[in-house]
Amino acid sequence: MSCLALLFEWLDRKFVAKLQNRVGPKYTGPFGMLQPLADLVKLLSKEDIIPEGTKTFLFNICPVAAVLLLFIANSFVPTVHVEGVLKAEGDLIIILVIITLYLLTIYMAGSAAPSRYSLMGAARAAVMLLGFELPLMFSSLSVGFAAGGFELSKIVAKQFERPFIAGPHLIGFAIFLIAAQAELEKIPFDIPEAETEIVSGWLVELSSWRLAFFRFSKDLELVLLSGLATALYLGGPIGPVIPGLEVLLYPLYFLAKSISVLFLLSLLSTLFARIRLDQFIRLCWRYLIPLTLAYFLAMMWVV
Amino acid sequence: MGVYIPVGPQHPIHPEAILLKLKVEGEQVVDADVDSSFVHRGIEKALEHKTWLQGLYLVERVCGICNVAHSTCYTLNVENLLGVEAPTRAQYLRLVVEELARIHSHMLWLGLLAHLIGFQSLFMLVFRDREKVLDLMEELTGNRITTAYNVVGGVRRDIDPALEHRVRSTLEELRGRVKRYRKLIEEDPSVRARTVNVGILERSEAEELHAVGPVARASGIKYDVRADDPYLVHDEVPFNVVTLETCDAWGRAMVRVEEVLESIDMIMYSLDHIPSGPIRKRVPPVFKVPPGEGIARVEAPRGELFHYAKSDGSERPYRYRMRTPTLANLAALVYMLRRGDRAVYVADVPVIFGSIDPCICCTARVFVLDERGSRVLNLEDLGRSRGR
Repeated sequence: MSCLALLFEWLDRKFVAKLQNRVGPKYTGPFGMLQPLADLVKLLSKEDIIPEGTKTFLFNICPVAAVLLLFIANSFVPTVHVEGVLKAEGDLIIILVIITLYLLTIYMAGSAAPSRYSLMGAARAAVMLLGFELPLMFSSLSVGFAAGGFELSKIVAKQFERPFIAGPHLIGFAIFLIAAQAELEKIPFDIPEAETEIVSGWLVELSSWRLAFFRFSKDLELVLLSGLATALYLGGPIGPVIPGLEVLLYPLYFLAKSISVLFLLSLLSTLFARIRLDQFIRLCWRYLIPLTLAYFLAMMWVV
Repeated sequence: MGVYIPVGPQHPIHPEAILLKLKVEGEQVVDADVDSSFVHRGIEKALEHKTWLQGLYLVERVCGICNVAHSTCYTLNVENLLGVEAPTRAQYLRLVVEELARIHSHMLWLGLLAHLIGFQSLFMLVFRDREKVLDLMEELTGNRITTAYNVVGGVRRDIDPALEHRVRSTLEELRGRVKRYRKLIEEDPSVRARTVNVGILERSEAEELHAVGPVARASGIKYDVRADDPYLVHDEVPFNVVTLETCDAWGRAMVRVEEVLESIDMIMYSLDHIPSGPIRKRVPPVFKVPPGEGIARVEAPRGELFHYAKSDGSERPYRYRMRTPTLANLAALVYMLRRGDRAVYVADVPVIFGSIDPCICCTARVFVLDERGSRVLNLEDLGRSRGR
């Protein structure tokens, strides 16, 4: 899972670099594939700075909690088989709760530091939650309703019979992608980090292992969200198989599908400028949330 | 209520040291002040200790981006005082390099704007194309940024037909690219969302605050030194003064992009009509300038640049004074940030700040306040206190 996270970061960086006419990571490992790992190790070896007046307990616990939460959530996502590593009744809902909790760790880490920039970043992150939380939840729950259960394994298995991507689920997929973009704080929704406005926002006082952990958790989240999108809308790791080769083919299918989702997310981030917080909230409440609700009700009605 | 947020002196908003003191309530700016006195370098004073020729190289280093404007202004001023006029061919060449520098400066600015609004792709692409201009600059003058092209009495290098051809083809290529960027700024919804109606400066306000350059022209003031007080051969090379009535950051972006296209046309025209002849009148390295005062004005990429020189007949200036365009626009910047009739969001601050194309290193000024008498001390007062 960690390898996957680092691989995804590398793919993201390389792909965005290609789109922007740059070269991207190049020197560490083959094609620079080890660059994210090298960054992580470098950050871990940096001097650990806690600014005066920090609420140390929150400051220390949040990065750890963030990484742990996402590890747990990732374990539910079906990658090599119809079922994930972990399996529970209604694990889709667990994942959604974890995503919200993860944002809470961001908020707490940002507000634990005494800096005004990080406080503003944390506040922005919290306000953004009001905008994209509903679309994210409802677009994924709708799929659950359509499949008749909130277990990812069940949803994936259901798609053996009838592929979801067809028809109205395309709308759900689009909504999910936009909400995921906001959740990942990628351009155009990197409002809480906004480098030129509030100097990386909630990240500004984090250093050394805390920054490393949070950066790594972002990579994990990238894997989680593209994996979740794959499971919900693209049929997870299943696909046409030669009997006996499932063990080999399923992970490949999963990789291919989730990487295409990743590329879609990266593509979105190169197309726009960062929008303002008030514009984001307006966008969400005027267009995204009504659309989500309409889609949700339509799904309920169909079922 | 409200929290003070310091933007600067070290902040990703700008590589140079400037401090915007913002008073913020939630996401809205309610008050703002600016402090630009971090990088005072005492160049005006230093000029009094250099010969007129050495001064040229110092003046070029006032500002990295508008070094051509500064050296043009300085040479014009000194030539004026000396009663020397550069040959026509040299004046055309100066104009070519000046407009090339304008293109380079405006493209740099466009890239920075893209960076400030978080549009990384546009930033990368614009900077890629700006490299071409810098390469041209290197071929023309021998240097990429600080060109050292102008000398008192003319220019240092001539242009040959092969190079002229390269300049033409590169600029043609660039014209297509810039047109694409213009279309993008006109149409892209996220760029429009961030710049339209941001940093409003009405025409009357711009006049009152003495805004210059693209900031004034985007507020509908048709003022351009090249047109209103032609220097070099600007009266022979036709061009349009681009103005817009939008009065916002978007307008400033459009004015600059249009000016790039105008500059490309001007360079093409100049290359077509450049007369043959000498490029330089020889002036001895150390020369005395007859006593007197002189001014020169140049349209730098950021606006009107003003130089004043006073000579006492020696080989060194008695006093040299510059007013740079950013200094003229700072008042407008503060006004735009703290205007009460419109909400200014924290996220707008980089856009508004960037829209005046600030250059701090040429702007920093120092004055000394006598706190007891609460008045500004002048040079004589300072001399007295030093003697005490």
